[in-house]
Amino acid sequence: MIEKYLILAILLFSIGIVGVLSRRNIIIIYMSIELMLNAVNLALLAVASYVGSEDAHVISLMIIALAAAEAALFMALFVTLYRHKRSLDTSIFDLLGDKKATQRSTVQGNTNA
Amino acid sequence: MNIELILFTILALLTLSSAIAMVSVHRPIDAALSFIITLISLAGIFALLHASFLFVVQIIIYAGAILTLILFIIMFLNIKDENLPKEPKKNLWLLGTSLLTLPFTLIMIKIINSANFGSCTQLDENFGSIEAVGKVLYSSWVLPFELISILLLVALVGAITLAKREESDTTKRVQEVSQKEVS
Amino acid sequence: MPNIIEMHLLSLIVLAPFFSATLIMILTLIAPNLSKKIYTFLALSGAGISAILALVVGYKSYVYNTMYSEFIFRWLDIEAFKIDFALQADPLSAMMILFVAPVGFLIHIYATGYMKDDLAYGRFFALFNIFMFSMLLLVLADNPFMMFVGWEGVGVTSYALIAFYFNDRENVNAGNKAFILNRVGDFGFLSALMLLFVFIGEYGFDFNTIMLHLNEISPNMIHLIAGLLFVGAMGKSAQIPLYVWLPDAMAGPTPVSALIHAATMVTAGVYMVARFSPIYELSFFGEIITYVGAFSALLAGLIATRQNDIKKILAYSTMSQLGYMFMVAGIGGYSYALFHVFTHAFFKALLFMGAGAVIVAMHHEQDIRKMGGLKSELPLIFIMMLIGSLSLSAIAPLSGFFSKDAIMAQLFGSGHYGVYFIALATSALTAYYMFRMMFIVFFGDKKPHTHAVPKSMIFPMIILTFFSVIAGFFNVPHIFGGHEAFSSWLQLPDRHYIVSHAVEYILMAVNTLIIAAAITLAYVRFGKKDANYEESETTLGQAISNKFYVDKWYHKMIVSPLYRASRFFDKINIHFIDHFIHTVSLLYMKVSTVVRVVQNGLVHFYLIYIGAGISMLFIYLYLMLEL
Repeated sequence: MIEKYLILAILLFSIGIVGVLSRRNIIIIYMSIELMLNAVNLALLAVASYVGSEDAHVISLMIIALAAAEAALFMALFVTLYRHKRSLDTSIFDLLGDKKATQRSTVQGNTNA
Repeated sequence: MNIELILFTILALLTLSSAIAMVSVHRPIDAALSFIITLISLAGIFALLHASFLFVVQIIIYAGAILTLILFIIMFLNIKDENLPKEPKKNLWLLGTSLLTLPFTLIMIKIINSANFGSCTQLDENFGSIEAVGKVLYSSWVLPFELISILLLVALVGAITLAKREESDTTKRVQEVSQKEVS
Repeated sequence: MPNIIEMHLLSLIVLAPFFSATLIMILTLIAPNLSKKIYTFLALSGAGISAILALVVGYKSYVYNTMYSEFIFRWLDIEAFKIDFALQADPLSAMMILFVAPVGFLIHIYATGYMKDDLAYGRFFALFNIFMFSMLLLVLADNPFMMFVGWEGVGVTSYALIAFYFNDRENVNAGNKAFILNRVGDFGFLSALMLLFVFIGEYGFDFNTIMLHLNEISPNMIHLIAGLLFVGAMGKSAQIPLYVWLPDAMAGPTPVSALIHAATMVTAGVYMVARFSPIYELSFFGEIITYVGAFSALLAGLIATRQNDIKKILAYSTMSQLGYMFMVAGIGGYSYALFHVFTHAFFKALLFMGAGAVIVAMHHEQDIRKMGGLKSELPLIFIMMLIGSLSLSAIAPLSGFFSKDAIMAQLFGSGHYGVYFIALATSALTAYYMFRMMFIVFFGDKKPHTHAVPKSMIFPMIILTFFSVIAGFFNVPHIFGGHEAFSSWLQLPDRHYIVSHAVEYILMAVNTLIIAAAITLAYVRFGKKDANYEESETTLGQAISNKFYVDKWYHKMIVSPLYRASRFFDKINIHFIDHFIHTVSLLYMKVSTVVRVVQNGLVHFYLIYIGAGISMLFIYLYLMLEL
């Protein structure tokens, strides 16, 4: 029975990865990260119920607390970014790269100023 | 065909569909709402796993505080639909990345299926209740508990530092407002 | 003589000029406006110490047969290949330094007068002293590699001194020519040394050891080695075909011509043949040496009759006399060759000094047709040059007579009658061109205005005149009651050809007659009151005047093709090799512009790259695990 829970956790984790890699909206990316954290929680609790120890519950609690702290900081970040750039697109921040190359590539599409 | 399996199937389907919806919808507010559904179904699954305390914590804190914060920020930023980032070929991207993660997923599922788990231990009545978790939390996990509180303090201070306006902005605004009052 | 000096005589002889040269060089660099007296003192002390100590060594070796040898340090030590910096004064070396160092010293004194108005005074004497160091090292070395070091050293300093007035392109070309031709000779010398080392180097590589083991080399190799060694001698001693640098070398200052191209460097070739005489005794190559020497002597004599530059006449004369030395060395008369080296050093240096004095007196004019009537203006110089010319022409009882006539007698006695007649003809030519020069320069009724000649130039000439007269008495042949002291002293593997006293007297008489005839002819043509200096315009005459077009032929056959080949290869270099390298680098740039797209600065994409890598790892894992 435990396998099913673990498989569900794995599926949720993969969906989270897909979300991080394929979306350009920064809020959606953040929420996909949270989804991944939840998947890990699920896996932890599944194993805990199998083994019978409550340490996993405590760890799970810590993860939720961590997610809360992370949420606070992320939100602050979103607000600051939106204030400066007036957009939520991740492809604006390309200072690490080569301007001429990005202009030539067709994958990017339009970028907001 | 016991009740646990039926409940699990319903909750699992709900979780998966809302997760997929969250990842693929265009507007962030829709995604946030789907995420809430995911979290609550997940809480149900926690309950199925005899983790009564975490079921409650999940709903109160994750769905009730964190998601509320996210919804608040989304509504606060108030982005019009036309100002949202345009994501051309979004579906193609989703398909592509899911193909990318397919090997990982398949291998993990295969490992789980072929693993020999042995017999599960017999759980007592109190397993996962707030009392049991509290006992463990304040005896062997008290140091991480304290550290987490410091972490939350740091996050608090950090969030305020990151999000506050510049000094010049505030003084300018104060000057503007006071000038308007005077004139 | 204090023991400490006695033990290090040879090192002192070699190193004194080296240290003075180094000091002079340092001083020229750090104190440009130093008084010339300091340089004079340093240079003369370097050369002087060598000269005095060389006289000591020579005397001891001649009278008591003392051998000196000194080991200074081990230069290279690679298994069987060991080179020691070691000096040795066996009779041959002692004889060489006996005249090289003192004559060098006298020419140093002369040069202080000749170069006294020159701005590069210090540089001149630094180079001059380095030359003395190299020459003495060459002669005193106890193994062929040290000798080669000296050999190269004299070549380099000769180049530097010929091109001393380097602001004039012609002088630089002359220096280059000397060095390049020398290098061709060095190639032969070094190849011979390498062959020797390959075959018998394992026993140790100093001269004594080499000569002991010569019979272990196959005869063909011995011939080859002898030939290659002579190629080296050809380059240094200006024999056919490597002689064309010697006339051009007169572009250097006259003291350079006197020291290097008369008394010392050019005799290094003869010394080398004498040093390797055991090899030549085992090979037929001596015959070739004799013939090369004969033709070189004849050619030089012919060309000298039509030269109008006073120094070029003497240059060709040197080449001619060197031919005599090789003529007799080739038939085994090494001591006779060295005796001629000995006497030739004195009178040739004297003649060059005299020429230098005349040039200075005529305000640096070198064309003899512009001179004339100097007999009354420069009487002392006239007398000294007359004595030198008579000695060179082998008039009894001057030194040249003893040495040249001994050579001619040996040639006749060995049965090489053809070579003997060439030597006789050259003897006549020698007298003719020398006295042509004397008559044109000193006789006639022009009254030129002369510049004063410094005393420091006259004084060494007087000493050399004295030795030109008496040097012959060092080696009086049996016919006159002497003991041929040189041959017994030098202990070289000479082959003495017995000529009966009667035949020898006849040969001497024939020689003297021919020389007298030549001098008379020269007098008739050039010495009379209204002599005109017109030469006949026949084709042979033209050819002689143009030095038989040898330089032109060398240029056409060797220099031009090499130049064109190098230009061709340069074009290939630019068009193919450089082009290829440019293409490769451009290719890199083009490929990089394509690959650069990957780095677009979006962390998003970098995550995808990470994910792609990980999924490929997982695929690999899937294939590896048997799940």
